[in-house]
Formats: sequence, C-alpha cells, structure tokens
Amino acid sequence: MREITKSSTIIARRLPILRVCAKIVGMNWGVIGHEWAVQLLSEQIAQKRLRHAYLITGPRGVGRRTLALRLTQALNCLAPPEPGQPCRACRACLQIERMQYPDLLVVQAEQEGGTLKVDQVREMQRSLSLHPYEGRYRVALLLRFEEAHPSAMNALLKTLEEPASQVVLLLTAESAERLLPTIVSRCETLRLRPLPLEQVSRGLQEEWGAPEDQAHLLAHISGGRPGLALQLHLEPERLQQRQAWLTDLLRLLTFSRKERFDYIEPLTKERSVLRSALNVWLSFWRDILIKTCGAVAPITNLDYQQEIEQLAARLDRSAALGVVSAVENALSLVDQNVNPRLVGEVLTLDLPKI
Amino acid sequence: MSQALYRKWRPQTWEAVIGQPHVISTLRNALAAGRVAHAYLFAGPRGTGKTTTARLLAKAVNCLEEDLSNRPCGKCEPCLAVSQGRFLDLIEIDAASNTSVDDVRDLRDKINFAPNQGRYKVYIIDEVHMLSTAAFNALLKTLEEPPPHAIFILATTEVHKIPATVLSRCQRHEFRRIPLQEIVAQLTQMSTEEGIQAEPEALTLIARQSTGAMRDAISLLDQLASTGKKITLEMAQNVLGAAASQSVLAVVEALIARQAGPGLDRIHEALDGGSDARQLTRQIVDYLRDVLLIKLGDVKQVDGTAEVKALMEQHARQLSASELLRLIRIFNYSAGEARNAWQPSLPLELAFVEALESLTNAAESVPTGPTSSGQNLSRAPTKTAISPPPKAQATPPASETSDETAPASGSADAQANKRLAEAWPQILHLVRQQSQPAYATLNSSTSRLLSGDHLTLSFASNLLKGKMERPENLSLLQNALKQVLGRELMIRCVVDTTRRDSVPQGVDEDGMVAAALRDLGGELVDIN
Repeated sequence: MREITKSSTIIARRLPILRVCAKIVGMNWGVIGHEWAVQLLSEQIAQKRLRHAYLITGPRGVGRRTLALRLTQALNCLAPPEPGQPCRACRACLQIERMQYPDLLVVQAEQEGGTLKVDQVREMQRSLSLHPYEGRYRVALLLRFEEAHPSAMNALLKTLEEPASQVVLLLTAESAERLLPTIVSRCETLRLRPLPLEQVSRGLQEEWGAPEDQAHLLAHISGGRPGLALQLHLEPERLQQRQAWLTDLLRLLTFSRKERFDYIEPLTKERSVLRSALNVWLSFWRDILIKTCGAVAPITNLDYQQEIEQLAARLDRSAALGVVSAVENALSLVDQNVNPRLVGEVLTLDLPKI
Repeated sequence: MSQALYRKWRPQTWEAVIGQPHVISTLRNALAAGRVAHAYLFAGPRGTGKTTTARLLAKAVNCLEEDLSNRPCGKCEPCLAVSQGRFLDLIEIDAASNTSVDDVRDLRDKINFAPNQGRYKVYIIDEVHMLSTAAFNALLKTLEEPPPHAIFILATTEVHKIPATVLSRCQRHEFRRIPLQEIVAQLTQMSTEEGIQAEPEALTLIARQSTGAMRDAISLLDQLASTGKKITLEMAQNVLGAAASQSVLAVVEALIARQAGPGLDRIHEALDGGSDARQLTRQIVDYLRDVLLIKLGDVKQVDGTAEVKALMEQHARQLSASELLRLIRIFNYSAGEARNAWQPSLPLELAFVEALESLTNAAESVPTGPTSSGQNLSRAPTKTAISPPPKAQATPPASETSDETAPASGSADAQANKRLAEAWPQILHLVRQQSQPAYATLNSSTSRLLSGDHLTLSFASNLLKGKMERPENLSLLQNALKQVLGRELMIRCVVDTTRRDSVPQGVDEDGMVAAALRDLGGELVDIN
C-alpha cells in the first residue's frame, strides 16, 4: 500500500512538468527539439504507415516520455487539426496528457531504480488483447524499460513482434544497449539526443519566462535536456541542493581523510541522494577534465567556471581523468547494490587534496 | 495500420529464406525423404530466420502437394491457413509468457488428441530458453516420445540456457548471422518491389548496422522509407546517428598528433551535428581495426576507396601495432559499456583522454585513480623528511601520540613519559581485569602526559572526562599505576579540544605515517 501511494506521489509531482512541456507548443507537437523524430512520426501517421512498436531512447529528461505521449495523442485525438497532428485540447488529448486515458496503459517500475516485474507485463498483455475502449488505438507505454527484469523483457517478445491489430507499443529506455537485443530488433528505434544548449535556453525563455541568464545557466546544467532544465526551473530547491553539493565538494578537497569520512557518511544514508550528488560531482569533474585538455567545448557548471578553471590549472590531465573515472565507477557501484557508505568513503579517498 | 515490412516479408517458401543454406537443405532433404524428426531445436542470433523456418516446416509437413520435394506448395488449403495464421494444428507457444510447469502440463494433456485439420500437430515453442527448470523437466518425456502425430519445434536465441537433457532429445540446427552481401541483395530487391528509392551506399550502411540480423535491417529500411522520400546516405547516417567519416578521421588524427583539446572539440562538433556517441565510438573502433589490418599486411579485408586506404596506410605508419591494439581496446571497452546515465558523451570523452594518456606515457598502463599521481608527489618528500632521524624529537616523547601541547620540560619527565608509554598496555590490561567500563573509558583518552607526580589524561569530550573522574575509576587506575610504575600519582583529567589529527613534527602532514596515526589510530614507535 505504501508503495502505491509513493508511486502516485511521484506521478503527482511530475504532473506540473508535463503541463509545462505542453505549453511549449509549435507545430512540433509541443516537444522542445527532436524535430526529425516528430516529423518522422507525424508523416507515418498521415500516410498510415505507422509501426506497431517504437523504442524511444535517450538520457533522462531529454523528452522521451513527452514524445511518446504526444504520439499517443496524435493517434487518438478526437479532432486532429490535420492528419498526424494532435489538437491537444480535446478530451482525449487532455486525458492522455494526464495519463488517464482508458486506452493508454502505462507500465513502469514502481519507482525509479526499481524493477519492472513480469506480472506487470503479463497483465498488460491480457489487456492488449482487448479491442480499444474508445480510441482508435490501444497504446501500451512501457517507461524506463531498461529497469525491466530479464524475464519481463522476454515475456514481451512475442507480443512485441506480432501484437493484435490496433495496438501500438511504445517503449522508453536510457539506451538500446541496456535492453535485450531481441527486444530492440523488434522495434523502430528513435534515438533522442541532447539538444543544442541554445535551443533549450530559448525554449525556457520564450515559454517559461525564465530570465536570460537563468535560462542560459539551466541549459548548460541540464546538458541539453529540456525536461531536466524545466524541472530545475520549476523547483528552485533542486538548484540550491546542487549548489550546496558543489560547495561541499570544494570544501571536501581541503579536508583531511577523517573529515572526509565524517562528511560523506550522512550523504550515503539514502542511495538516491548519493546518486544525485555523485551525478553533480561527475559533471563538475568532467568540466575540469575538459578544461585541463584545453578544449573549448561548453562546460556544464557555468556558475562555477572560476573554480573549475582554478582547479584545472592545478591538476594535470591524468589526475582529472582519474577523478572522473573514480566518480563514474562509484556511480556504477551504487547502482550495483554495493554498500553505499563504502562507495562514498572510497571515493573521498580518490579525491585529490588541494 | 500497415504491417511492418519484416512481417510482410516473412519468407513463405524455402527459397526465400536467405543466409541459412545448411539448415534449409537439411530440412528439405528430410522432407523429400519423408524422414521428419519429432523434435527440432532452432538456435541462433536474433533475426536470422528461426521462427520463419519453424513456420515453413509446419506448413510443409501438413501440405497436400503430391511431390514431397515441392512442399510447401503455398496453394493448398493447409498452406494458406498457416500463412494466414488460422491453422488449428499449428500451436505457437510463447514460452517467455507461459513459463511455468502448469503450462507444460496443459500442453501434455492436450497433445494426445488427434490433429483437427492436418496430418501433424506442430508445436512451435518460441523463446524456449525462458521455460523454468521444472517446466523443462515436465516436457522431457513428451519430447522424447511424443504421439506420432506431434512435432515439436523449439526456437531460442540463448541455447546455453537449455538443459542438456532437452538438447539431446532434439535435432539441433544452428542459424548463422547473415552475410553483408546477402542482406544488401535482399534489401535491394525489397526496395525495388516496394517502390522505395534508395542509394546503394545507404543500403550498405543499413546492412552493416544490422550486424547480420535480417529483421534489424528490414526494420531500419522500413523506418527510413516511412517518410516516402528517397533514402540517401546522409539521411541514413542521421537516423542511425552515424557520424560522417570525416569526424572519425579528425578524431584519429587528433589522437596521433596528441592534441587533447582539439580532439575533444571535434568529438563535440560531431555530436552536435547529430551523431550518436556510442555509434561514433564504434566507428572509431572500426576505423582503427582497419588500420591495424593494414599494419599487419592484410589489405584485402579492408573495404573502402583508394583514398581512404591511402590515409589508413599513412596512419598505420604513424602508430605502432601495440599502440593500435591499446587504442582499440580502450574505445571498444567504452563502446560496450552499458551505462550512459548522465551524459551520453562521457564514455567517449573518457576513452579519448585515456587513449591519449596511454599514447603519451606509452610504457605504463593508464592510471586508474588519482592516487597514482596525486599522492606519489606527496609521498616523495615524506621519505626525505623522515629518513634522517629527527634529532630534536629523539629524546622527547617520540613514542607518544601526544601533540604540540606537550613540550618536553626536562629529561626526567621525558624518561618517565617513555616508561609510561611502554607500560600503558600493561596498565590497561590490569584495569580491564577489574572493570570493563573503566578500561573502555581509559582507552578513549587521547593523550597522557606525566610531569612530576601529576598524570594528565586528555579526553575528547566532557562526557568521557566525567566518566573517568568517578572515584571508583580513579582508584582503579591509581592502583594499577602503583603496581606497574611503583609510584603514587595524582591524576588530572582535561578535555582536549585541539585537533586530534595533528601529527608530530617531522612527520609529513599528508604522508602514509600521518594517515596511519590519524585515520587508523596508530601509535608512533619508530620511523625507518
């Protein structure tokens, strides 16, 4: 029971973001960027050459789910302005936007980092064998499918290859490589890539009234992922938390080993917190690596440019490379269910002392 | 909804199955001779024709055509029924969804009924590797001796998960990856028949991308064709995230010239231009592999234009074989890495810098942690500072963890302190025999200093100090001191708030010794 409430609060928390994305409209289905994907899909719908299974891959916050929902809307819109375009105002469109449409089945792990279970897939299969309730298509949306248990992936194979007519399966995943190759080869893959920073920044300014500096900064921090930038814009406390972690990191470098251990311990109480902190630190060290190499590529943490340049001047390339690999390694260990405190402590030992 | 091309183009005759002549000819000969086995196992990578062949076999054994070698004819009633998916005696089971032993028992109960329409009941068990162990075992007897009217066809991509007892009861056929040329030929034929216009180079790229799996190739063709325009190489590269070959060349040249900054910038340009990071990594691996082949004198295996080959030869001269090997390993590892959570480009960037590092310090392997560079530097001065015996500290309490608050007042006190330090474990032991709590409290004292008849014990907190000052604890300690040192001592407890982790003079702040003292609670005995 607790888990159910938990997952519903997650959905509730993400809802405003969804609506936000919806406001950034154009003829582009209201998706920031990914014009090629939208064009491809809308032409397929217009020409009735739609496929039965799509796999949308890309890093988190890049717009995978938004694209999938828009596709569902385009399929089931009651009054499409033209073929392949959703009106985004009719009842069906609004219900889909909130993921409450009767012909839209959303299947996902209970929480991020959880596991999508084989029973969920089987239940979905039963439901997919029914005729659409009111729309033209019955759409199954399988989110973060890389979290699916191997048996769940296998259970989907036959359905994915030859589903009933009027069924469209939409899968989202971080990368195709994390799924079974047999899954990938049954889908049409749309690889969403991070957008040019300028585009994200413009989107934030025009649709969200973010001040130019702020939009610029958020675009950099999000690394070209509009969903993440928007989330940071709407929830400033996340931005503050990020700053706190970066400041801590700078302080941490001057600490002795004991102080480092003392600092890292509370951070490792919650796996997800540690993961987020490590991600922030990873981006910071990557910036340093880029600077030590003397590249002009854009850095992520624009607001810490000065510190990054100072550190880059003091460290050599191999040291920077070492830290980036250490943080990366720590991140993957956290995901692999290694004792988080141990991971955190080992990582603090790998940080250079300034 | 139009049918996906890979479903529409599922082969309906033996001739249409490509790339598996060894399987097809065996099966056709068996059919022609009327020697069809009762259980088959089709194994092989995805998209190589396992399910297709299974359905063809089901069709063939039920076909009404007189000439055995012409089956399936594709015209008789059973053939048509199978093609349209309405043949009652073809039972296709999704073993990944029906994994349990009950599903197999259900199958076993029904298998004894005679076929409805055809001559044989054909059970196609797809994705059979997902059956549970119990389910496999429940199947064994049926699989060994099914009723004469039943044929089993098991299909799987992961043959290593099938128990040996099942393997030995089946006729096993291995499906191979389909060669590049055959895929290209098939794609060309399909695109002409479907009215899709496509550049030959684009088709070759698709075929290469699909790594021998026909379904992947057809899916890609389908995806590219869905816009209704001519499929160009550029469009294919865009959808696949494949970088133009110039980007790959630029990155490799930056590597050879040992230019970190420009190299990273080339990578970013390619990624901003729409390439996929992993794809670009794979392309770099492919290119380096070709260069290695040329280096080893195997020019025939490399395909490409004369100019490309000339460039490769030039690169082959600039890199040694071992360097090439190392580079390929580094990039290949990064291409196979599953993680790309935060920044998709990060693995490639890391691989690039790592590759540069491995080229620059060719003799050594790549450093894996910052400790190798960060701490070697600080360790070096440690040795020089310690190796001459610290003269000023030789007589004062060098054997004590006590800190700068303990200046040596006289040689008598120093001697006494030294004795105390030596005897301390013994004193602790005595106290421990009397009272465990007193021992624990005493053990938590951070430093002990003897001056005259006063013993000063430092504690890290008021709480500990208060505990020690309890009369019973003090008397215990006094007794122990008297027993060991043979003198009556006044005991004074203080709270020491100074940093505990400061280290004695002459010990490097960041060295190994300091770490042992501070973090591991070591005591200084002697430094060699």
